Amino acid sequence: MDFDLTEDQRALLTAVERLVERHGGAPAGADSYILSGAELERDLEDGGYYDVARGQDADGAVGAALLVEAVARSPRAAEVGASALVAPKLAPTLSLPRPIILAATPLDGAVRFLGSRGTAVIDTGTDVRVLDLSTCRTAAVDTPFAYPFGRFVDLDLKNAPVLADVAPDLMRQWWRVALAAEIGAVAQVALDMTVDYVKARRQFNRPIGSFQAIQHRLSECATMIHGTRILARRAAWTGDGADAAFAAAHAKETAAKVHYDTHQFHGAMGVTLEHPLHFWSYRLKCLQGEMGGYMAHAKEAADAFWP
Amino acid sequence: MNFEWTEGHRAFRQKAKDLLAEHLPADWAAQTRYDQGSIYAANFSRKFCPILAREGMLLPHWPREFGGSGMDPFYHWILGEEMAAVGEPRSYQYMYCNWVGPAIMAYGTEAQKQAHLPRMTTGNVIWCQGFSEPSAGSDLAALSTRAERTANGYVINGSKIWTSGASVADFCFLLARTGDKRNSGISVFLLPMDTKGIDVRVIKTFMGATAFHEVFLTDVEVPESARLGEENRGWQIVRHVMYNERIGAPRYMLTLNALDHAVALLKAKNRFGDDMTRMRAGRARGALNAARTLCHQVIGERVKGRPPGPLTNVARYAVVMADRHVAEFIGDYLHEELVTNDDPLIAAAYRRTGSTGFAAGAAEIQLNLISRDLLQLPREG
Repeated sequence: MDFDLTEDQRALLTAVERLVERHGGAPAGADSYILSGAELERDLEDGGYYDVARGQDADGAVGAALLVEAVARSPRAAEVGASALVAPKLAPTLSLPRPIILAATPLDGAVRFLGSRGTAVIDTGTDVRVLDLSTCRTAAVDTPFAYPFGRFVDLDLKNAPVLADVAPDLMRQWWRVALAAEIGAVAQVALDMTVDYVKARRQFNRPIGSFQAIQHRLSECATMIHGTRILARRAAWTGDGADAAFAAAHAKETAAKVHYDTHQFHGAMGVTLEHPLHFWSYRLKCLQGEMGGYMAHAKEAADAFWP
Repeated sequence: MNFEWTEGHRAFRQKAKDLLAEHLPADWAAQTRYDQGSIYAANFSRKFCPILAREGMLLPHWPREFGGSGMDPFYHWILGEEMAAVGEPRSYQYMYCNWVGPAIMAYGTEAQKQAHLPRMTTGNVIWCQGFSEPSAGSDLAALSTRAERTANGYVINGSKIWTSGASVADFCFLLARTGDKRNSGISVFLLPMDTKGIDVRVIKTFMGATAFHEVFLTDVEVPESARLGEENRGWQIVRHVMYNERIGAPRYMLTLNALDHAVALLKAKNRFGDDMTRMRAGRARGALNAARTLCHQVIGERVKGRPPGPLTNVARYAVVMADRHVAEFIGDYLHEELVTNDDPLIAAAYRRTGSTGFAAGAAEIQLNLISRDLLQLPREG
């Protein structure tokens, strides 16, 4: 066991962090629910970063998880998990047009990042199909959940090609790893921001972060985030279905708690658009339920681990 | 990153498993009910630890010059995991392996090293830890047991409480007050438990036969040579040697075993079919996986020779949370088995998880330390 990043992983992380930084932090006094990540995505694509996990080795998968984490720390909503971690694991030799959207039937709800271009990878329950989004009609969905969302208006799923030899379970596995990695990073930023806030915000002549009632809850958040991050990386490394479900279950429980507690300690300030917390906290709220909440994943983990 | 054990680590774990398979008595579970402090386990440890010693498995991480194998700290942790998984057949002998021996190596005189370390390497000595007092628990520096200077050494008066293994121990690693300053008035004494003036009483609890004691010290005379390190430097010694211990023993292994066993039981009785039961089991196992991996990460830091940091407290709190999930799962889904009390592993895990939050330091203190050292939040008050 070695919990340090390899040299390659460190170099990758440094490069991606620089790139993310170039696209800027959270703007003061934003007036929108979403900051577009399209330009960041283009740079990631141009730099070949989405291909980190191609090659099927464990180091590459951890590298892709690190990439997901680094991009998720940005306030920008950039599609990264599906492109960097899921697609390379399902179709290592295919180069699917980006952005890549992950969805499962029935396709009647809002889908993260769904728009008129790129590829949808769809879990039909019996197989995995890829759909060229330029052939579908989609409509944007207006939501406060910090990601662009769309829904299908018209699509031809029956004639969409099936990914040969890819079981829906494998798609769900890597989708879970991507979600867990993203949640770990997003939750960490929300926590860091809250820690800064409770150090600065004074009431009763002292920083509110000096109250044990607040300290203990934030420390519990920190513990769950540490657990989530290490389980996500581990699931990327092992490529094991049960590990992925355990990571997702733990991540989603973490997302719910961290969302609630970070907002609680920001008070009313946290629900303004002026304060940037929402760029991360509302992503947490969204990721918490994608593919089902923690109970669904915990059950899947139990099914995989104790068949 | 690499989440795989090395070949050496895997072989070592297998050897530990093999030794347990060969030497653990068939009636181990029935006799001990997985209570490391049972008289049976304590007596067994005096036979089993010499076997571990002969096989080079007792003190894998100790330096060779003191009788260890000079292996990396993962070996020590793997040994602890395998022992914890079956209810700790080293009984309280794990304590000197983990920190009493290293404390003597670091702070002992040549005579103290000669007197204590060779005996530890034979696997036939039990140490207890004389720390907590009725008015000094989480606030350990408030301890009031006093060691007064005499012409020949010290005379100790006071009492200790919650002392694990005291009735089976040969020695006590005792903290006593030798000065008035709170943290700078404490010294460490290496006290033979057969010294005149020591009275040990078992406290009957839910936690095990010799899990807790009161130790009364009345005019206990010790020579100066029984003091470890400088006078009034005890707090610093304990902080140093115990920092690694904040993570606790790998007690999650018994919990993990018990959860897997609980699932097997439920399956055999066709009670593992509904989604809610599976969800709860999965949640508990996930929390255990997180806690265990975080502990491995802490040990990984030790392997790299880095000083202990707040990740230790994070890992420890993760273990507390995970144990609680398992306890609640057992309480909710194995009610009959729990009440009839006829499954030693289920009973032991339920009992042990009840003390995870306060054994080796209260969980809330861990949260305080995470707040202070990791989040760097301002102190209360």
